[in-house]
Parts: sequence; C-alpha cells; structure tokens
Amino acid sequence: MSKTALVVDDSPTMRQMVALTLTNAGFKVVEAQHGKDAVAKVAGGPKMDIVVTDLNMPEMDGISLIKELRKMASFKFTPILMLTTESAADKKQAGKEAGATGWIVKPFNPELLLNVIAKVLPA
Amino acid sequence: MSNDFAQFQETFFEEAGDHLAVVEEGLLALEQHPEDLDLLNKIFRSAHSIKGTSGMFGFNAVAQFTHKMETLLDLLRNGQKVVTPHIADLLLKSTDCLKLLIDAAKTGSAVDDKTVHRLTSELAAASDTKVKAEAKVEKENRSSSSTALASTATFLIAWTPPEWLFQRGLDPLQIFKELADLGTVSQVTVDTTKLPELAAMDPEKCYLSWTMKFETAKDRQVVDAVFEFVREDSVLSITEEVKGKELGVRGEERPSPLTPDGLEGEPKPLGEILVETGVVSRETLDHALAQQKRVGEILIEQHAVTPQQIEQALQKQKQQGSTAQSKKSETTSIRVDTDKIDKLINLVGELVITQSMLSELGVRFEMSQMPVLLERMAQLEHNTREIQERVMGIRMLPIGTAFSRFPRLVRDLSAKAGKKIQLVLSGEETELDKTVIESIGDPLTHLVRNSADHGLEAPEERLDNNKPELGTIRLNAFHAGGSICVTVEDDGRGLDRDKILAKAIKQGLVSEHEKLSDDQIWPLIFKPGFSTAEKVTDVSGRGVGMDVVKRNIEGLGGAITIKTALGKGTIFTLKLPLTLAIIEGMTVRVGKETYIVPLLSILESIQPKAGAMKTVVGRGELIDVRNTYLPMMRLYDVFSLQPEFTDPAKAILLILETEGEQVAVMVDEILGQQQVVIKSMEQNFRKVDGIAGATILGDGTVGFILDVRGLIEMSRRIVPVAA
Repeated sequence: MSKTALVVDDSPTMRQMVALTLTNAGFKVVEAQHGKDAVAKVAGGPKMDIVVTDLNMPEMDGISLIKELRKMASFKFTPILMLTTESAADKKQAGKEAGATGWIVKPFNPELLLNVIAKVLPA
Repeated sequence: MSNDFAQFQETFFEEAGDHLAVVEEGLLALEQHPEDLDLLNKIFRSAHSIKGTSGMFGFNAVAQFTHKMETLLDLLRNGQKVVTPHIADLLLKSTDCLKLLIDAAKTGSAVDDKTVHRLTSELAAASDTKVKAEAKVEKENRSSSSTALASTATFLIAWTPPEWLFQRGLDPLQIFKELADLGTVSQVTVDTTKLPELAAMDPEKCYLSWTMKFETAKDRQVVDAVFEFVREDSVLSITEEVKGKELGVRGEERPSPLTPDGLEGEPKPLGEILVETGVVSRETLDHALAQQKRVGEILIEQHAVTPQQIEQALQKQKQQGSTAQSKKSETTSIRVDTDKIDKLINLVGELVITQSMLSELGVRFEMSQMPVLLERMAQLEHNTREIQERVMGIRMLPIGTAFSRFPRLVRDLSAKAGKKIQLVLSGEETELDKTVIESIGDPLTHLVRNSADHGLEAPEERLDNNKPELGTIRLNAFHAGGSICVTVEDDGRGLDRDKILAKAIKQGLVSEHEKLSDDQIWPLIFKPGFSTAEKVTDVSGRGVGMDVVKRNIEGLGGAITIKTALGKGTIFTLKLPLTLAIIEGMTVRVGKETYIVPLLSILESIQPKAGAMKTVVGRGELIDVRNTYLPMMRLYDVFSLQPEFTDPAKAILLILETEGEQVAVMVDEILGQQQVVIKSMEQNFRKVDGIAGATILGDGTVGFILDVRGLIEMSRRIVPVAA
C-alpha cells in the first residue's frame, strides 16, 4: 500500500521537487502552499503517513503548522519533517518544541530527503 | 531521475528571476525605510528560496553566494546589524552578481570570478566575523573526526530518550532498525526502572532507556547521525571501544551538514591578502589594479600587433560570446495565469458545440433553415473572435516587468549625476505582448537615462528657476485604441529649439533658409549622430544616440513622438502595437496579385502628373513629390508581374517611409485596409527579397506583405535601365 505524504512549501519549485522525489519513491503526495492551506487540506481528510514542511511561509508558518497538526488526533504521532537552514538554529529548537520529528537542512539532494524520511517513517 | 529534475530547471530560473526582483525592489525600498522589518523579512525569504532551490539543482555557486547574502540579511533581520548605506549598496551589488551567477548557471557560461570573490569577502566582512571563525572550527572538527576511523569499530551506546519522544512522532524502534542496517547490535539491555505502575502510566510517554554494543564499519559521523533528531534532548553517550580501551567520549557536538565554504577552500588573490594583513590599504590596491593594463594594450605598445587587429579579435570574441549564449538559452517559456487558460478551455468547448450544431445542420439542410444557419454562423464568428483575443492575451504580460528595472537605474543615475530625482511609475498593469516588452527595455532605458542626464537640471539650477529641487521622471503606460502608449516624461529644461536648429544646420541636416515648425524640429534629435549635449558624460551622450531608440521602436512597428516646453519639461511618447503577430495593413493590387503594405509605413498615396518622373543615371527613376525627388519602384518590375498600368500617371504611387528614408512604390489600385496575421516566409518557404511575410486573405488566397526596409535597399541596389 502506498504511503501518503503532505508537502508544504510556498516556493513552487521546492514543493514540486520534494513532491516529485516522493512520487518517484512511491508516495502519494498532497501539496499545500502554506500552513493554512495544509490545515485546510488535511481537515477531516485522509491520514498522512508523513509531513514535510518548510518553515518560512506566508499565512501560517511551519512552526504554527506543526503545533496545529499535533493538536489533531490523526497527526499526534505522525512524523513531521521540517525544511530548515543551517543558519536557523533557533528555528530548529522552536520546531522541536512544537513537535517536529526531524529536520532536513537546505539545500539538500533528493537522496538525502529519502534517507531522512526512511529514518523516521515506521515501516 | 535526473531527467525529471531537468524539467523543473526552467521553473527554477523563472522563479529565481521573480525572487531576484523582490530582493532588488525590497533593497531599494529598504534604503528609504531601513527600519522596516517586514521588508527585511520579505527580502530574506526570497534570498532564502533562491538558496534552497539552487542547491537542489546543484547550482552550488549560486547557493554559496546566496548563503553569504542571507547571513548578512539574517543579521540585519535580527537587529544585530543596522542597514547602512554601505550595506544596502553592497547587497544591491551582490544582487547584480547573483543575477550573473544565475544567468551563468542557465547558459553554462563563465562568470567573472574576481567580482564574485570580492563581493563574497565583502559580504563576509560585513557579516559578523564570529560566523567565520565558527565555520572554521567546525571544519577542523570534521576533518579530524573523519580521519580518526579505520575499518570496523565497536561503540558502547547508552541512551535515555526524553519522555516526550513519541509526541514528536519519533520511535525508538526506528533508531534500532537504522543501527541494525549499519552494523551489528549486541548485548542490548533495557532499563525499565523508571516505568511507573500501570495505572499511573501515560502511554504517550517513553520511560525506557537502553545500553548496547554496536559494531560497524561506518564512520563515527554516521553513527552520530542516527541519533540526529534526538541527541540534543537525550542523555546519550557513544564511546568507541578499541582493544578493550575507551577512546575519548563524544557528547553533544554534531557534524555540520553545512556545505564546505568556497571561500576558505580557494586561495585568495594576492591583493586581498595584502589588504587583509594590512600591508596596503584597500584604496592603494584599487588604484594599483586600475593601472593594470589589458593584454591588448600591452601588445599594441610593444608593436606586436596593430590596434585594428586587436579590434577585430575583440569583435570576434564578442560574437562568439553572444552566439554561444544565444544557442544555449533560447528555449523561452511564458507563465500564464491559470484563469486565462480556464477561460480559453471554456471557449474551445463552446466552439466545439457550435461546430457540432453546424455539422448536424449541414447533414439535412433545407432552405427554410437559412435563418438558423446564419445565426449559428454568427455564433461561430463570435467564438472565433473571442478565442483569437484570448490566445493573444496569453502572450500578454503587464508592462511592469519592463518598468521594474528603472527604480534601480534612476537611483544609480541620480547618485552619479548628483541630481535629486524621483521616479513615478503608473500603468504598470497595462498588458503588452511579451516580445514587445522584451524589446522596449533598451529604448526605454535610453530615454530614462537621457531624461536624467540631459532633461533634468542640476539642483541649484532648478532652485534658481523656481522649480522644486527634486526632479521627477514619470513612466506611464496606457491603452490608446489598438495600441499601447508608453510615455517617458520629465519636468526638466525641455528641448531648446534654437540649439537644436543651430546644431542641425552645423551638421548640414537642414539648410539655413528653411522655415521649420516646432514639430519638424524636434524629430531632428533622432537623426544619426545628433547630440546636443555640450559635454559627453558617463551616463549618456556616448554615440549610441536617439536614432537607435527610434530605429528600435520602428522595428517593432511602433512610433515615437516628442512634446516639449522650454523650461517645463519633455514628454516622449512611444506608440507600440499590441502584438507583433498581427499588423494593420493596406491591401493593394498589382495586375492580378494582391499585396499588403504595413499601414504604419505609408505616408500618403498620390497620382503623379505626367511630367513628374525623371531618370537619373546611376539612380534609376525618381519622382518629384512637392520638390523632393524620391526613388520610384514599379512593383510589377520587382516581382515580374503583368500590370494593368505601366504609365505612372495612370497608376497610384504609395509613398512609404521607414527609418527616415522614403520610397515611392507604384501599384495599380488600392483595395482597402485590414488586419492581417503574419506568417513567416522563412519557416514556410524561404526568404524573398522585398517580402516581409505572407498572410491568408479573406478569399482564402495567399497575399504577400511588403518589406518596406527591403524595398528601399533594393531601390538602392538595383539600378534599372531607363524606362
């Protein structure tokens, strides 16, 4: 059974790249442009196996999104990866406190993305 | 997988372009409002996106450079640094450099490493020096740890995860699995002492801790990486066991995923090192570098080559450069609002319905159904026209994209010329064909430069003339009938009638005795080689004149006009066609053939008197039009046709003009005026002299569109024998 991933990023290029990488790896991908969009897309919708989200986004940023998701029963234990940069150490801390499972440091290549996902995704 | 990624590269370049525009615009605004945090955040976000995406595509030069910019921006954003004019300027220059880097990534061409290097070090200098030091330490750490390991090693791992492990979506099982993938886990013990009574237990918390022995051939870093997401919050010790002896305990430090810093790896230019070590000052270095001669100059001095040879070689270099570039980057794409596409699809749907209604009607048609048929035909026409308009609309972009470069330009110009200039943009949303937008950039730039340099006065002069110190340049775009008008307006000194006239007489463009109206005088500034600027400045007045502007605009099928008042200002108005794919044409007949003449190039049509023709040896036939002799071409001669009239007195002469040159073209009859869609001759057949393209006429036959420029050239080349 294929797994479902939610990819949240306001940059279309980044989002498409991540989505493509995941699609190629056999995931079903749901894309969202920012936190609000993501919340709207998962509200009452299908359960996600993994969430990959950017942090810097308009409307609702990644940290708030993670907090929102963790409040939902269906996302309580779902692995959530955040895309971050090496310059944002405080962001990482904030993300962890919000409930992020892990992080991927940008720029990254597709292999790394898949490796990190394999690391946190229960079989 | 790489092919899949290649398809996104185009998107990346487009997106990067958008982000660059945001950064540049933001930086310009930031100069006015250095405290604006929202603005800084916006700039940062864009820079950040460029870095992230470029890294994914492997454009490391771009990613590394943007990283440097981002570091500085981040410091500004956090208030650790303040936006000074120097920093703003540096960031703007870096944006330019980034643009070059992205272009280079796109075309695969080389970048001027010196500039990149210089800016990189300037950016690093402007950012906190501590950042640099940390990076270095981190690097050393990494290199020492990666050399420390050989073949297999055994680690003793003791791990107590935080209680809230599960709440972050983490699972210890995942970590054991990952370890098992990397090596052999043995002697695992689990500590359950913290486990409370069942009733008091929170199933969402983790109460367990483990110790284990782990044998692996992998690097220490890889083992550390397994615990990457939990290390900082766990009690974790990973100790290496060699021959029963424990080596140094490694606690909390983490391997940095930071890409190696390009700056540290490469040797610096000598000058930079001398400046850094304080041997020479930056000024001395710049001065010395400015005196450095180019290889061509040195060769000329040594009489090894002639200046002409160098000039030729440079030309060649330029050509090679430009062809190489154009070869690589010529897949252009356009981003279209999904709304536009949806509407189009909707319309095509309607067209299909109309078509099926018509074909049904056609299957069993009776004369009584004529009104229905006419109604359906009208509907079809309506559908077609609307689709045509919408499809044209797809190529339309707001002209704002062409305007966006001017805030920066005007800022730089005003700094350079020591004038105070404000730029007011309006009508940015006016839509124009993409090709036209791309082609008007240079002419507009020239006009704006011209206004800033020659049009606007120096601040003192303005104050003396009771004008506000701050000069204004206005760029406006608006629809006017089937065309778009773009105006470049300044409130400067205006054109000086007497000065222009005197100069024109001096250059022999007009004779002293001619009485010229204002409207005849202003266009003189478009004559090649004409420049009234008393001194040549850095900004304009260096040979590339207004004649080029006029030629470019006319090349697009547009026109340029001037309105000016001495002491008050000047308005240049560019009238541009909405699109290049359709022209307004006049249909004319020669014998049985129909030709289309671009309406914009027709000055007038006349029926000459019998004695108005002269034949001049070496110049062919000339016609006297109000005391001016124009070359005359018989279109039937040019295209070898059988005409109705061979006597010019019976036929009609069209006076055509392009780029200031005129020619009289003889045809049998003028048929009418219509819009025609241009089809390329080169793509469908081959280039034919005197023909700009073809079109399908109303009756389904092919009509040729005359190439006025080509005809004028032919009239010079072919000197017909006297008729």
